[in-house]
Amino acid sequence: MPHEEPDRSAASIIEFCQFARTQGLFVGIHQTIAAIEATQSIGDVDRQVFTFTLRTALTSSKEEWDLFDQLFEAFWDRSQRRPGPGSGEPKEGKISTRRPKAGPRTFGSLSSAEGEGKAVTGASAQQRIQKMDFSNIGHNDLAALEQVSLRLFRRMSLRLSRKRKIRNLADRVDVRRTIRRSIPRGGDPIVLAFQGRKPQKHRLVIFLDISGSMNPYSLFLVRFAFALQKYFKRVDSFLFSTDVVEITDVLRTRDLPDALRGLSQRAAGWAGGTKIGESLSDFNRQYGRKLLSTNTVFIILSDGWDTGEPEMLAAQLHRTRRRVQKLIWLNPLLGLKEYKPITRGMSAALPYVDVFAPAHNLESLLALERFL
Amino acid sequence: MSTSPTSLQNNQVKDVDTLIEAFERLGYVTDRALATSVYLVIRLRKPFLIEGHAGLGKTEVAKVLAAMLGTRLIRLQCYEGLDVSSAVYEWNYQKQLLAIKIQEKTQQAVEEKEKHIFGKEFLLERPLLQSILEENASPVLLIDEIDRADEAFEAFLLELLSDFQISVPEMGTIKAKHIPYVILTSNRTRELSDALKRRCLYHWIDYPSVEKELKIVRARLPGVEEELSRQVVRFVQAARQLDLAKPPGVTETLDCALSVMSLGKHKLDIQTVEETLGCVTKSMEDTAKLRASGIERLLS
Repeated sequence: MPHEEPDRSAASIIEFCQFARTQGLFVGIHQTIAAIEATQSIGDVDRQVFTFTLRTALTSSKEEWDLFDQLFEAFWDRSQRRPGPGSGEPKEGKISTRRPKAGPRTFGSLSSAEGEGKAVTGASAQQRIQKMDFSNIGHNDLAALEQVSLRLFRRMSLRLSRKRKIRNLADRVDVRRTIRRSIPRGGDPIVLAFQGRKPQKHRLVIFLDISGSMNPYSLFLVRFAFALQKYFKRVDSFLFSTDVVEITDVLRTRDLPDALRGLSQRAAGWAGGTKIGESLSDFNRQYGRKLLSTNTVFIILSDGWDTGEPEMLAAQLHRTRRRVQKLIWLNPLLGLKEYKPITRGMSAALPYVDVFAPAHNLESLLALERFL
Repeated sequence: MSTSPTSLQNNQVKDVDTLIEAFERLGYVTDRALATSVYLVIRLRKPFLIEGHAGLGKTEVAKVLAAMLGTRLIRLQCYEGLDVSSAVYEWNYQKQLLAIKIQEKTQQAVEEKEKHIFGKEFLLERPLLQSILEENASPVLLIDEIDRADEAFEAFLLELLSDFQISVPEMGTIKAKHIPYVILTSNRTRELSDALKRRCLYHWIDYPSVEKELKIVRARLPGVEEELSRQVVRFVQAARQLDLAKPPGVTETLDCALSVMSLGKHKLDIQTVEETLGCVTKSMEDTAKLRASGIERLLS
């Protein structure tokens, strides 16, 4: 091997750990200690085994595992030449850090409505707003819609969680507790103890179309995705047009305007073309194994205008459908009276969709409660 | 316990190479990276998390480790909804009820009765408790497919793995006499919690290289013909490049080779592939994809 033997003292391992941390490896004090213990107990070994030792101690996922060799080389080659390797300028090819950095603040187009909070909306106004198509909303109503939607989404999430509890009252005798209670009565199980089923929260994957044709709706649907997070065990959200972008981490914040600002930076293909089948295929390949399971509800929000092959879309939907509990397709165009789902993409998709519902106004979104 | 010729005391595993040899004697072909991790597991007694696709021998690591050390293998298969009563312990209710009936006529005080029916003989030990109660030597505790259990169970496990003790409210706290070697496997169907991952040594098992896979086939199927093993491995390796929904693992390679042998064939040709395709692809779509890409091309 052409390299010099790396320095294996505890000090240099600590330095390496610090370096790895700056490069996106999640190395805590525990791992550092583990790494030192490991190198001590493995004794005198060649460079290769030394690498393996540090790798097994310091990594904890495939991504880190793949990154490790590169870091190891970078650090030990560099430290031969340069003193003080701790500085760690960011390198190319670095994996993204887990926590997205709060980007520079730009003004999201819709975020101004929050915080004013005083506009009074009467019942009739509220109803009118609920039925209004997102694409027809004027600037004046926007703020009101924002408020109403937030409030309604919140109420909907409360109702959902309550529903679940009532439905799942005691359904099985808890033998263990029953016996315990029977002791003072000489072993006759007079007082039965019950075991309720633990409320099983579902997981949700949201797959949101942001192509040009969806433009009037996209931002509201993002809000909807944000609101849904509150009562699902886990919500993973993705944007797609021709590519797939994960936005889970952006939405996982308390502050919606903040999230929207983050989004406008993340989404490269806002208002571009649509390739639903290919995007779904990308998703299945990259995230499918991890995110789809029998307690997952998969929601696609799209108008079904697809420029890709319908066969591809059908095949990918079929693949997704088999893995999840329920596949819901929300189509804003379904709100139009004259609309019929006969576009090539949409008609190819329908056989694999469990629920096909409109999503053009607040009312239709709130009606979803039934299916979740 | 460790009288069989293949078993070693843990202090006999002097270095990584000894371990590779010992594993190979037991029919498990490994590389230095995995051997290093296993060696550290023996030395540091830290839990060991192995991730990788299905069918690459994750579970086998634990079995071979137990065989090598000549200790018991205790296996906990995880599934959704796995709870404490099937993972740790449960009381034998039927027996308890009987005991209560039998005691009915005696003059014992309630406290005494209670003490009796919550004695050790009424306790059903499940894998995690078993691993802690082991009397003679450290067992190997295999927690298989941890990604299938839910987060709550993971959190419970975290506690167990840091203290190696379990508390049974009716009996008190039980502490491990011998700290088990803990091996967790995961197929990455969901992300595990950071806290758990950070407590473990980690290893990612990837698909083996052609040479390694050949070695594995020969080690596991001693009767296999040289040419056949080469063909099968080449075929499966080519199939892995196809972007299948379930790429074939090493298990599939072995299945394929074994079924060709059982059919009395000595060569892998198109017809034989058709006959044994079920060993390599496990769904209709994958099979279609494989056919579409040309079996002949994959074989060459």
